[in-house]
Amino acid sequence: MKRLVSSTLLLLASSSAFAVAPGGGGCGWGNALFEGQAGPAPHILAVTTNGTSGNNTFGMTTGTNGCNTSGAIGYSGKSMLASVMDEFSEDAAKGEGEAMTAVSVALGVSPEDRAHFAELTHSNFGSIFPSQNVTADQVYASLQQMMKSDTQLSKYAI
Amino acid sequence: MHIIKISWLYAIIILVASFQIKANETPTNNTELQQLIDITSKTELWKNVEWLNLLHYQGGPASTDYLSQVDDPIFFNATDGKTNPENELKATLISLYNTNTSNQDEHAQCRNIARFNWLKNKFPDSFKQSPSIICKQYLEWRKQVPEEKVSLIFPAYHLNSPSSMFGHTLLRIDPAENEQASTWLSTAVNFGANIQNSDNSIFFAVKGLAGGYSGTFIVAPYYEKIKEYNREENRDIWEYPLNLTAAETRRIVLHLWELKNIKFDYYFFDENCSYRLLELLQVARPELKLTQQFGLTAIPIDTVRSIEHANLMKGTVYRPSQTTSINYLLNKLNPTQRDLVLKISRDAELIHSDAFLQQNSHTKNIILDTAYRYLRYQQNDSGRSDSNAKNSYLLLEAINKTENFSSEEISFTETQRPEKGHLSKRLAVTAGEDNEQSYIQLDFRMSFHSLEDNLRGFLEGAQINMGSLSLRTTEEETQLQYLDLIDIFSITPRNDFFQPLSWRIYTGLEQQLINGRDHLTGHVTGGAGVSYNLWPQSSVYGMLTARLESSSQYAQAIEPALGISSGLLQHFSFGTGHLELSGEEFYHDEFRHRIKYIQNINLQRNHAVQFSILRQRQTDLYFTEAQISYHYFFH
Repeated sequence: MKRLVSSTLLLLASSSAFAVAPGGGGCGWGNALFEGQAGPAPHILAVTTNGTSGNNTFGMTTGTNGCNTSGAIGYSGKSMLASVMDEFSEDAAKGEGEAMTAVSVALGVSPEDRAHFAELTHSNFGSIFPSQNVTADQVYASLQQMMKSDTQLSKYAI
Repeated sequence: MHIIKISWLYAIIILVASFQIKANETPTNNTELQQLIDITSKTELWKNVEWLNLLHYQGGPASTDYLSQVDDPIFFNATDGKTNPENELKATLISLYNTNTSNQDEHAQCRNIARFNWLKNKFPDSFKQSPSIICKQYLEWRKQVPEEKVSLIFPAYHLNSPSSMFGHTLLRIDPAENEQASTWLSTAVNFGANIQNSDNSIFFAVKGLAGGYSGTFIVAPYYEKIKEYNREENRDIWEYPLNLTAAETRRIVLHLWELKNIKFDYYFFDENCSYRLLELLQVARPELKLTQQFGLTAIPIDTVRSIEHANLMKGTVYRPSQTTSINYLLNKLNPTQRDLVLKISRDAELIHSDAFLQQNSHTKNIILDTAYRYLRYQQNDSGRSDSNAKNSYLLLEAINKTENFSSEEISFTETQRPEKGHLSKRLAVTAGEDNEQSYIQLDFRMSFHSLEDNLRGFLEGAQINMGSLSLRTTEEETQLQYLDLIDIFSITPRNDFFQPLSWRIYTGLEQQLINGRDHLTGHVTGGAGVSYNLWPQSSVYGMLTARLESSSQYAQAIEPALGISSGLLQHFSFGTGHLELSGEEFYHDEFRHRIKYIQNINLQRNHAVQFSILRQRQTDLYFTEAQISYHYFFH
């Protein structure tokens, strides 16, 4: 009975909704800065909250949908960065923030060196993010380069 | 590809099932196993609440009166495991001793690792003769999932999406040190329906209610959730660290592995995301009695309150959404400065203009920060554009070059806390007079919040009601006054930065005066328009409306009408007042005009008194109606 009540109840809630589910989007790996995640307003009436679309992500994913590599373990620094590049660029400009911490953790930087990593990223903002068209790939390479040429951080460079 | 997967699944099910049938019937020659079976059956261990929780059983008290909410045969070891916890316990023991160890990751000791662990704790001296299995996949997974602390996460209301209007809950599992104050890499645990990308929102709502979906647990990095809710959907996120111990947290993690890819029935209203999380918390701490408080509905915020009530919370962390942050910052600026933010967001070169340079450094920081966030908001809304990207970059560069730039800390006030709002169900007793006929009326509302209700903890200008029902009794008769299935009213003021639509949709049955007497009439009414803030806590709105009405009294099956609706909503410190002028004209020339004022007075969190007065003209008839109601909120 309660199913019947509920079902009747909501045939209508939906009349206000006409949007499609949000697209998965690409990996975001070659995306330029400020690409974000959303396409043209897919979220306005989307069903993201209580639903999860298809690709079964039980293990930790390695970034955005398109970046999943089944069997890959954990967030590698690279795909993590691709996924939060916009947020990271803001933290790099400001010199601190959660995206900054998360990227430094994902790159394997130890707690005692993270403040230094943040400081260095902040002062090298212009070379890590030379323009609005920089890609995650290039940012990753610049970060590696930056760590390599720093005595305190060179041990984390790959 | 899918076909292959499915046939594999079936192969496994058949394999497991055929083994179980055999195992159930064959007496074992392993003495340790036989002892375990004997002792568990003698002590009726299957009645243990921890066991019942782990298998998601409901019902009882006899073993055959149970039903597990898990809807996936592979989850059970006994063929009748879904309906019989006693047999399932016995079959689980047999499976744990299964000597076929060719695929170790698929062995019951790995697949049912939480059950195995629980039994090992109950019988520390047993399982010496069971095969020794290494759960490689599990161990690899565990490297990434911390197990020290748990937070309950509540992404608040998202009015424009039917599936999210009531909010949502998920859990987050953190490592002990929180990775130096960043929870971005923590593990989010989310229960959701398995929808197809092609299913749209209508489809989801209908199917979700009818139980057409299955649901599974999903584990993902928390930063994905922050982006999804805070940035893409513009919802505030409330985080409540819980006082679960590391050992209790570990039980959740073990159980999650057991629930990997396991399907549950999914129902939008009751067996939903929030209900499943309560079950997880009961697995962690068996003495909790959370799920039994939720029958017909498990509205997310009500489940948050039940967790608070069980003394599980030990703090609050607030993550404001993109739009909340922008509005907060805009409130720190005067109109000229706000205008500057808008201009700079359109042309970032204006940071070199005198208008900007003459501001003090604190104000400059806020202007830069707000303009940048506003650009990000626009990008989320309409995608990347060259000019947006260029302006965003120039602003970041300027922020980077500002010495000692610091963002404003955006804090919350106590009145914003969603868990402190009134409860979701409402009962009202009303005394009224309609054209000199007095009546008493009883109203029940299943959920959730009206514009005039106590605003504390809710979104301003957001009315979402589902399932309202009213009985009215006069000297002559008792009748169903109205039955509202759904009633959504969204008043979102526009300004220079945000231009949302205000809209309304409601439908149900209500009494209408037709041919001289009341008739129960079906209707669907909707409208769209705009709204503006007059001053803080006050908004005006105007919209065009359309209505379809159906009654046996009409010549046509459905009578259409067009109309307008406008009003003023004012939140006073003691309660909300709502003045509305509205009217519609029907295709068959009849028209209705009305003016209505409602004043709510908040007595306590869950108690209110409401006055209303209505004057209506219906073609050549005039009515006046006055009411006084007492409202009681509960769940």
